[in-house]
Amino acid sequence: MNDWFGIVPALFLLSCLLLATSSRMLHLIRLVALQGILLGVLPLLSEGGHWGIAAVNIIIKGIVLPVLLYMAMKRASVQRELEPLVGYSVSAVLVLLFCGAGFWVAERLPLNSAMGPLAVAAAFTVLLTGLFIVAARKKALTQVIGFLIFENGITLFGIGMMRHHELMVELGILLDVLVLVFIMGIAVCQINREFAHIDADKLQNLDDLPDGEVKK
Amino acid sequence: MTVSGLMTVPLLAALLVWILKGRLLRTILLSAAAVHTVLTGYVYFKGEESIVLRGIELGCSVREFGFGVLAITSLLFLLVSLHLCSWLKSDARAGELRGESHGMSKHTLVSLLLLFLGTMTLTALAQDFGTLWVAVEATTLASAPLINFHRSKTSLEAMWKYLLLCSLGIGMALLGTMLLSAALPEGSSLAFDAVKNADPQWFKAAFVFCFAGYGLKTGLAPFHSWLPDAHSEAPAPVSALLSGSLLNCALLGLVNIRDAAPEGLTGFCNGFFICFGIISLLFAAFFIIGQKDFKRMLAYSSVEHMGLAVLMIGFDCGVLVLLHMAFHSLTKMMLFLTAGNILLAYGTRKIEAVTGVLTRLPRNGMLWLAGMLLICGTPPSPLFFTELVLVKQAGILWGGVILLLLLIIFCAMAYVVIKMCMGSAAAAEFPEIDCRAEKLTRIPLLVLMLIIFSGAALMAETIMRYVQ
Repeated sequence: MNDWFGIVPALFLLSCLLLATSSRMLHLIRLVALQGILLGVLPLLSEGGHWGIAAVNIIIKGIVLPVLLYMAMKRASVQRELEPLVGYSVSAVLVLLFCGAGFWVAERLPLNSAMGPLAVAAAFTVLLTGLFIVAARKKALTQVIGFLIFENGITLFGIGMMRHHELMVELGILLDVLVLVFIMGIAVCQINREFAHIDADKLQNLDDLPDGEVKK
Repeated sequence: MTVSGLMTVPLLAALLVWILKGRLLRTILLSAAAVHTVLTGYVYFKGEESIVLRGIELGCSVREFGFGVLAITSLLFLLVSLHLCSWLKSDARAGELRGESHGMSKHTLVSLLLLFLGTMTLTALAQDFGTLWVAVEATTLASAPLINFHRSKTSLEAMWKYLLLCSLGIGMALLGTMLLSAALPEGSSLAFDAVKNADPQWFKAAFVFCFAGYGLKTGLAPFHSWLPDAHSEAPAPVSALLSGSLLNCALLGLVNIRDAAPEGLTGFCNGFFICFGIISLLFAAFFIIGQKDFKRMLAYSSVEHMGLAVLMIGFDCGVLVLLHMAFHSLTKMMLFLTAGNILLAYGTRKIEAVTGVLTRLPRNGMLWLAGMLLICGTPPSPLFFTELVLVKQAGILWGGVILLLLLIIFCAMAYVVIKMCMGSAAAAEFPEIDCRAEKLTRIPLLVLMLIIFSGAALMAETIMRYVQ
């Protein structure tokens, strides 16, 4: 049983590396779905895991959210992230650095959980990778995926600490994320329609710095 | 019972508005807002109310900060919904005359507003950090589509920034909440009054993340960049609620995490509050000077006041924070509604294109001028008293810095507002809209009276105490 605790965080680390280096949207969505399913499976491996929460996690994070993202991708007809702000090879190196930082943090925290530092290190790596993808990619859809990765990292941290909120709070968090991705999916389509592209870095009509003119 | 009523009334009303698709819109909105206010008043007289729902406690007591936030939210929502119905008609008419494309439908707007009220109520009633997080994130979700009411390119951009930045920020707060639960002994709950015995090392980490998360949502500089966009692009009544109620809800998160600090860490926490308060004032002062858009100017003034509120928390001013928040909310709401009227008549938010408001829209011009003076803390504004006590409490050095920054902000705002009010006005493009904008001044005027009377009462009380 304990071996699995090592394998799942390792899979998370691997998925981060793949997420940071792939340009195809479909690939990214599949990897996020994989992370969602792993998040659902992980609590089951420990004793007394909530079956209900695990099932809801798998359904929402592993199936519903990726399907929503896929639909947004189809409707905005975007296939890949062609010109990221940070290149893919540099991204890979950065993820390795995040991984190092994650282990550094996990070593330092006074941990008392059964899962040990590996899950916490993986959680920090996932979290940082998510933030990095939001910052370093131009397409609005990739940013949504980045946010989801970030959120997965936080959930993994919670599981790694073996701390559970009340059932209602857990469900509330999931519901919030679900609605968020839903609204963002609609927003992606609207951005696509209004601007004829979904490059979020072109969204700079609103600015206070000298060259930012108020448009109206 | 009352608490469940407070929660269910807005949600049921939102559902009803959605199903009826705009029939009885006004009746449902106003009655929901009125019932909400009455229930809040009932809680006030009862003193304390709470229910336990599947292990989650919801409730508030009059002595707590949460009740203050609930009361402000409830009152503000009632006033805004009274204003909203006639505003919607005028806005639709103005859009028709100017040939602008249709935005969101009325019933979607109203049902989202009611949903927004429901989520803010949940924030005020939350009794543990988990529920608080869920509620604050839900306020972001309910309010984001409201910003995109006019469906223009810029409002879409504002909504996107708001969604992404606030969700990431609030994600930080979730991490902070997880760290907080790690700081507690195994199996203990995250209820506000149960977290006092947290491990100091872990608590520090938890505090930093929660501060970053809720601070971003409060609009503290340098994490404020979404705020001017969202508050300026949203339609006027929504801006009034965003600035008046939502910021208070986020501030509630900051207050709660600070109150949870174990002994010996209060100084550490206060340092954060003071530091970010001063930075917020600095940013606000810098960006209000030379501002080209009058709604953005109001948004930066909100950054300033959140900075002041945070400073009051940092300098241990106690209940003063609530007083400041309440009157900032009322004044800012009145200013945003007036700004909405000016925008309606002139059709632009550019400061340079708006002159002679006093001659073209005398009532709005008067309100605009009076509102500016009140928000900058000119007596008898109650903000004068709160700022005075803050400066006194902060000591010579910090007090001097705060006063200097407040002076800069006052000068910059006065320059803009006076320039807009004075001068000659171009002939009205559509006299009908000007007439409607003048008629929309009832609620702002009522609020103005309320603020001035409360300020005068405060002043009278102070003087009486001095005399005796």
